[in-house]
Amino acid sequence: MPLLEPVLCKRIPTAPWGDPRDRKYVNYEAFVATGGYAGLKKALAMEPKAVIEVVKASELRGRGGAGFPAGMKWSFLPPEDGKRRFLTVNADESEPGTFKDRMLLDFDPHLMLEGIAICMHACRLDTAYIYIRGEYHAQAATLQRAIDEAYANKIFGAGSMLGQINGRDAECFMHRGAGAYICGEETGLLESLEGKRGWPRIKPPFPAVAGAFGRPTIINNVETLAIVGPILDRGADWFKTMGKGRAEGVPPTVPASFGPKLFGISGHVNTPGVFEENLGIKCSELIEKYGGGMRGGKKFKAAIPGGISMGVLGTDQYHAELDFDIGRKYAVLGLGTAGVVVMDEDTDMVKALRNMIRFYAHESCGQCTPCREGTGWLSKMLHRIEAGDGTTRDLDLLSEIAGSMGAMPGTTICGLADGANWAVRTMLNKFWGDFEKRVRKERFVSLSVVGAR
Amino acid sequence: MAWITKNSGTMQIERRTEPYLTDEMKRDLEAKVVVRYPTRRASTLPCLHAVQEKYNYIPHQAIEEIGAFLGLPASEVLDTCTFYEMFFTQPRGKYVVWVCQSISCELLGHEKLMHGLEEKLGILPGETTPDGKITLMHAECLGACGGAPCALVSETMHENLTAENLERIIDSLP
Repeated sequence: MPLLEPVLCKRIPTAPWGDPRDRKYVNYEAFVATGGYAGLKKALAMEPKAVIEVVKASELRGRGGAGFPAGMKWSFLPPEDGKRRFLTVNADESEPGTFKDRMLLDFDPHLMLEGIAICMHACRLDTAYIYIRGEYHAQAATLQRAIDEAYANKIFGAGSMLGQINGRDAECFMHRGAGAYICGEETGLLESLEGKRGWPRIKPPFPAVAGAFGRPTIINNVETLAIVGPILDRGADWFKTMGKGRAEGVPPTVPASFGPKLFGISGHVNTPGVFEENLGIKCSELIEKYGGGMRGGKKFKAAIPGGISMGVLGTDQYHAELDFDIGRKYAVLGLGTAGVVVMDEDTDMVKALRNMIRFYAHESCGQCTPCREGTGWLSKMLHRIEAGDGTTRDLDLLSEIAGSMGAMPGTTICGLADGANWAVRTMLNKFWGDFEKRVRKERFVSLSVVGAR
Repeated sequence: MAWITKNSGTMQIERRTEPYLTDEMKRDLEAKVVVRYPTRRASTLPCLHAVQEKYNYIPHQAIEEIGAFLGLPASEVLDTCTFYEMFFTQPRGKYVVWVCQSISCELLGHEKLMHGLEEKLGILPGETTPDGKITLMHAECLGACGGAPCALVSETMHENLTAENLERIIDSLP
């Protein structure tokens, strides 16, 4: 069943409810006039614990990639001790194929600010830092404007409607990054916020116990916080009418995929862009209904379900359902950020994989050896295979290297190498023929120059 | 690549008597930025941004001054600074053109944009034109995949580019 009304895109004209050309910045007055900050008012009338219960009851799962239940994350915080506790908002959207948060930041940042205020009230957090990536210049300016409006209207600051939290005024600041993919990893983000290189930390301790500046910290994605306001306003049951519930007979302890989600479609489609739909929509429906079909009437070959770290969907998985269960059903890592990159029949898969792995080799932070060396090695091998100088042995070596790095085999601190691992593995498994065609059986000395660009 | 560093053991730092981090900037940062964070160190990134905004790059002397301002060794500020791709410790062009090379942009032909610019400007990615006007850079995903191929010209994002209209944009830079 398609989404009946836009939730996140309520004030942002998006097909099929509006024309994207009519999009403009929604200021505080326009936001309040269309029912904004109503969720915050309701939350403030409730006990903080009751707010967390509502979010828990809604079974909202994090929209930043991992899909961790947000309410559960909020309840992991230790009891208050009167000292500072922080909220950090992850607006470091750097996963290739993902551009959903940019739309929210560009046009409706108050939706996120409302969620921030609710989260600060519910979890008793006194300061919020919004970590926005350095390349988002225009978005940073818009966000700062929205924050200033929120301060002027007593959402944050001295004498705000949040009151005193941990004996301090509730504050919300923007912190600009400076171009590092790894700062989107939650502990890398914390290190960067503290003024260091964005090197992820070993967990535990988890950020909920010792995060930013050694204090309990909640980290949420922009989209996760943006949906919190509507949930508080209209209730958890309303939220659960959208998206995809559990199959019959599945116990309620298994997390489901409720709610709407922003899907970003790019690549070989006619009308790329960000669209809002129920979780569980079929990939084919997304491409045909929202993406305007394949560009040039070509045939579908592959799609990346949500950022390149999630691996690829094969040609026969055109009808894959995009929900948090996608990983188990279609042999990919997960839904990720739901930034769908579509590739048509003419796409060179070796080149596409080379591009993905070059990204990881470039963005590896260099802290763990398997990732630093492994991604570089994979990148060199793929450049060689693309140039036509690869051997069949290289293909085995590709999967061997990929399979031995990452947090899942337990050789790295964070999941960056897992992204590379899944990209290589799913590509090789689902498009083996494409790779086999490009390599030779005999060994010979390679003369190609590698890694020049 | 964040983890490539230069051997700076024998490096000579060019110095001038006038400080880069002026008293006015210090006052401004102290009042608006340092107060936001529980530690002074957390202001490193905002300070680096402020210096780069004013001088268009971050001279090594400024790194020492930021260290002194925040009570950190200069080496720790340099450590942070060199991790991030957007901080330039060498003078760069007046405009920096970041051409996105990630998956959606490559599927839709970022190579044509890059080759077009390389030929037009006579430089390779990472280099600056001799007149100091334009620095050309490869960028990883700029978050505009819906408008691929895209490029960031200084602080302005341009989407749905072709080699011709990117060249027109470059030509129209003052």
